[in-house]
Amino acid sequence: MPLLSSEIVEQVKQELAELAGPIRMVVFTQTFECQYCEETRQLVEEIAELSEQVTAEIYNFVTDKEMVEELGVDKIPATAIIGAEDYGVRFYGIPAGYEFASLLHAIKLVAAGKPELSHETLDVLAGVAEPVHFQVFVTPTCPYCQHSVMLAHQLAVASPMVRADMVEATEFPHLSIKYQVMGVPRTVINEKTHIEGAAPEPVVVEKLQEALAKSEGA
Amino acid sequence: MLDFKLSQPGQDKPSAAQGGEQVIDLLIIGGGPAGLTAAIYAGRAALKAVLLVGSMAGGQIANTDRVENYPGFPEGISGAELAQRFQSQAEHFVTKLANDFVTEVDFSSSPFTVKTHLETYRGRAVIVATGAFPRRLGVPGEKEFFGRGVSTCATCDGFFYRDRRVVVVGGGDSAIDEGLFLTKFASEVVVVHRRDQLRATKSLQERAFANSKMQFVWDTVVEEILGGETVTGVRVRNVKTDETSTIETDGVFVYVGLVPGTKLFEGQLEMNEQGYIVTDAHQCTSVPGVFAAGDVQSPDFRQVVIAAGAGAKAVIEADRYLAEATGPHA
Repeated sequence: MPLLSSEIVEQVKQELAELAGPIRMVVFTQTFECQYCEETRQLVEEIAELSEQVTAEIYNFVTDKEMVEELGVDKIPATAIIGAEDYGVRFYGIPAGYEFASLLHAIKLVAAGKPELSHETLDVLAGVAEPVHFQVFVTPTCPYCQHSVMLAHQLAVASPMVRADMVEATEFPHLSIKYQVMGVPRTVINEKTHIEGAAPEPVVVEKLQEALAKSEGA
Repeated sequence: MLDFKLSQPGQDKPSAAQGGEQVIDLLIIGGGPAGLTAAIYAGRAALKAVLLVGSMAGGQIANTDRVENYPGFPEGISGAELAQRFQSQAEHFVTKLANDFVTEVDFSSSPFTVKTHLETYRGRAVIVATGAFPRRLGVPGEKEFFGRGVSTCATCDGFFYRDRRVVVVGGGDSAIDEGLFLTKFASEVVVVHRRDQLRATKSLQERAFANSKMQFVWDTVVEEILGGETVTGVRVRNVKTDETSTIETDGVFVYVGLVPGTKLFEGQLEMNEQGYIVTDAHQCTSVPGVFAAGDVQSPDFRQVVIAAGAGAKAVIEADRYLAEATGPHA
């Protein structure tokens, strides 16, 4: 049974028709104790079928240690979207529901390598000299969440210092507890700075600067 | 059950009208039913139009569990899917659909200027369709606990309240609809309403009263949201007896009506006391060439079908205005 309906398949084909470059979708999985590993793998394989430019690579989280380390993957299912370079664009948990649009956005974004961000944002990012980690907690039924995920992924593509994860909160309850996620989207920047809700670009950039100021003070 | 939605705001279509300083025919601000319908009609009228969607196409319906009163869908349709269908149809017709947030407008002279965080647009006519947003309670604790127990989106956050008790504040359609949705997760849904009966439509009321997880606290308002790291309860007051008490809860979902999204237009368009844009029967605002449609100008009905109708009217009127202002477009 395919996961994607024929109607969605046609739309995805169109979306991926003019990809600016090749894309590797790298999935980490294991055979047991992982709620949506199998479906995530299947989803990525189905998408790879729809574009000549997209390839699926499947790795085992337990045995393929080298790859796990190289891509900095720490939980599964994980999907890394890699183009001409690895910008640090990741999905933890299955990108289903509204997050399916985030996944396609990430593929197109990474293929093009050109984020659509304001000059002000790009100026701030140019000055970022230390690592920044975005974790955007979502649920698949949240219509606002994709905005936050897409924005975080844009920032990751724009700056070599920024990496950005979508984290599907229902699949990682221990992280939901650790980061006190009781509403989504909730964005965690470098562990200590939080954004509630789908904040617009200037607000997210301000919070990024706040996170950096905190780490300097520490 | 897994599903995969492709509704994605801001799919920019390559076109001549990429903003910049170029003057286009029609700028539509807002991507709910009114704005999306306006985009469809603008395309059909062969107007060069840009639709500025904001964060999410669909507006309030994208966040609605089910829409059962939009004609053409005899079985009802999920709000998200209806929003997606509106958007797909708009994409066929509109010159550009952008995910930008509008930060500033200048309606003092034509062509009108609309700035977003990415670009500056200039349009010979504008349709304001920025809709309405959930009203906040405005009580202590609400802002502090937002995202840590206070929510306005049951479909987003219901999962976090599995087997817990939640409070829903309000008695209208949204409150009851979302309250019923929350019964899928929560052990108890306590509806706190300031009146002694619900305002929600009868069919929703019947479902609510038949659901054993739903409880009702009448004639009561929330005065404070209590908690430590997260919400632990609400302090409430009975408006008839003036007695106060505390209801223990892990989550508070607020559905106490809406406020119009008109802050951007203060001082530029005439508004009524509640902040809604004043229009005539033809969707004209106090500024010739600027039109308004949907919940932003009409708090009385709040229906998808009415917002869509108003969006269509606004374009027909804008097309007339443009033809008169500049002669028929060749």
